Amino acid sequence: MRLPVPKRTMPVCNQVFVLEDFSFCYPDTADATLNHLDVAIEEGQRVVITGPSGCGKSSLLYLLNRLYPANCDGTVSGTLDIYGKRSGYYAPGEINQTVATVFQDPDAQFCMPTVEEELAFTLENLHTPHEDMQARIDDILLMTGLEAHRHRVIQTLSGGWKQRVATACALIMEPKCLLLDEPLTHLDPLTAMEFVSWLDALQSQRKLTIIAVEHKLELWGSFFDREIALNADGCIDKDRAFAATLPIPFKKRQHTKRHDTLLTAEQLMIEKSGKQLISAVSLSLAAGQVAVVAGPNGCGKSTLLKALCGIYRPPNGTVRGDPAGYVPQSPEQLFLTKNVTDELAFSGKSSPAEMDRLMNGLFLQPIAHAHPFSISHGQKRRVAIGAMLADKRKVLLLDEPTAGQDEQALKELYELIDARAKDGCTAVIVTHDMNFAASIADSILLMKDGTLTGVFDPDALWGNDELLHEHRLLAPKGRNAYATDFA
Amino acid sequence: MRQILHNMNPSMKFLAVTVSMLVLAFFFNPWTPLLFFLSVIALQLLFSRINWKLWLLFMLPFFFGAFGYLWTTLVFGADTGGPILWSYGPIEITEQNWAHAWSLSLRVLAFSSLSLLFALTTDPVRFIQSLMQQWKLSPKLAYSLMVSYQFLPVLKAELEQIQQAHRLRGAEIDKHWWNRLLAMRRLFIPLLAGAVRKAERAAFAMEARGFTGEPRTAFYEQLTITRMDYVLTALFGIVLALCCSIEFLDF
Repeated sequence: MRLPVPKRTMPVCNQVFVLEDFSFCYPDTADATLNHLDVAIEEGQRVVITGPSGCGKSSLLYLLNRLYPANCDGTVSGTLDIYGKRSGYYAPGEINQTVATVFQDPDAQFCMPTVEEELAFTLENLHTPHEDMQARIDDILLMTGLEAHRHRVIQTLSGGWKQRVATACALIMEPKCLLLDEPLTHLDPLTAMEFVSWLDALQSQRKLTIIAVEHKLELWGSFFDREIALNADGCIDKDRAFAATLPIPFKKRQHTKRHDTLLTAEQLMIEKSGKQLISAVSLSLAAGQVAVVAGPNGCGKSTLLKALCGIYRPPNGTVRGDPAGYVPQSPEQLFLTKNVTDELAFSGKSSPAEMDRLMNGLFLQPIAHAHPFSISHGQKRRVAIGAMLADKRKVLLLDEPTAGQDEQALKELYELIDARAKDGCTAVIVTHDMNFAASIADSILLMKDGTLTGVFDPDALWGNDELLHEHRLLAPKGRNAYATDFA
Repeated sequence: MRQILHNMNPSMKFLAVTVSMLVLAFFFNPWTPLLFFLSVIALQLLFSRINWKLWLLFMLPFFFGAFGYLWTTLVFGADTGGPILWSYGPIEITEQNWAHAWSLSLRVLAFSSLSLLFALTTDPVRFIQSLMQQWKLSPKLAYSLMVSYQFLPVLKAELEQIQQAHRLRGAEIDKHWWNRLLAMRRLFIPLLAGAVRKAERAAFAMEARGFTGEPRTAFYEQLTITRMDYVLTALFGIVLALCCSIEFLDF
């Protein structure tokens, strides 16, 4: 059966996406995720979609490239026209040649071993004739500056390069529009900035339409020219010209560092299958201290945390003091039981009164009987921290707790850590978010190539561009604002 | 010269190996598998650059298995035909029993060495590519295999991470195997939760790059069947025929 061709009075060519009264609802939820959107996006625009977690930003992106609704059985109402054609009339895979996508997770968007094979996979999908493939791969590698990585195994590349490869794979399709789903989440600040300026040059050259979903607008400078902000109900809150934004304004923390030392490490060295991951790291942490560990991707930050809490037993060096607790990036990796109360009580090291205090202090009472896997990400982290504190581990090591978090979640995390520090706990946080680091840290531990370069006072560090640059970091935007607070 | 087994078309190699195994299954004398086992080693010595240490390591369990077959068949075998060669108490080893025991254990060696020849000289990605190109395997199936292969190291790293986290919680690895088995369940829930999420992301990324699972019309790396592939397949055939013909010889 042939579907009736919709009658349109005049195809509007320079409009890429036109949404009219467009709503979208996941199959197992009562409330619509996206509510009555009316938006038109024109060719060559650089649009950023913002909004709190769960507001439907990513869902909207997946609807624009037609991954949804087919892959989630959701229901759609209203209309979505893509390049003047009703979205439902595109054949599977057809739109993906025009609208390409780069995703957030650099580890889960490749299916072939090497860069060249990955590019070839994309061309094979498009039924490109064999004779043209070589030339197109050569061209895209040259354009994206990836020639040297042609035969590299993708899994051995760093996060920043993986995102470039993902972008190259998107661009080799010669798309007219590029969708980006939080592409900077896992990149260190300087790599993120380089990625943005690289993308900026590509956009000017190819006249692409770019639509991105992003929380951390400050990393993008003045890249975008339009912002569409969604609110928590999935309605358009604001649709306006983009203005370079300052990062989230946290209040400067009152230092809570005390005199007693909780943990000291001396000459730590970790080796794994013959490779030295960290070497000769010595540090000491005081009660109430909040330290941020920063440095380029793969410099041994996570390894340091694991060494401090005793997951890795160092062949050389010693760790002395209070036992340290570790909260991985996915806190659910820690969970062992079927409800939140049992999770905290697992080790049995805390008395019932202490347990009550912890549950109340971390606002876990309302979810005391929930399954630890079924609660929100922020709640999972609170449960994980609770479990560590119930184990009498007063030094909390948090691995990338800021990645992919929205403003609300970051503020909550800030309060959570601040409150623990006031109680006399020590927190060590690995993060790429220098704005967060600037507002929460008493001291910053810089790492490079597996060694601890030094422990710095945050306010002094932000002025030292050379040192920051060496560690692939950038001073948070508007750091002068903090300086004036102190004056 | 010592590249040709590695360069052989993987589908053809797979065919040669499979046919050899099926044919060998019909020969019950001990000489055919023995000769074949030796020929496989000779083929690898001549035409491949495999790591023999690795080969020995992989063969080790099969050597044990072969030895197990040998003595269990000798001791517990039901064959009582032919003259008695040797006896010890109630155990009598007859000529037929002796032959069967050797045939079974050498078969283990022949089959395992042949499988190893394939495994050690074939790149899995090329094998899947070749299955798609020569045998028209559906890309949907082929690429799901390919992605799982890419994901193995990722999953391994994740499992390690979860084990470390659990150890920190004090969920010590138990001494008793039944407790360890129960503890596995705790590892698999977070592992699966992570794997499902990663798998969905990978599927989305592939679809967003125009992958529909339709048969492809062109390949970047074209794997063809060359004259060398026919020569090697014929060589396998000749070796197989020679080893099998021994059954029909009279000693």
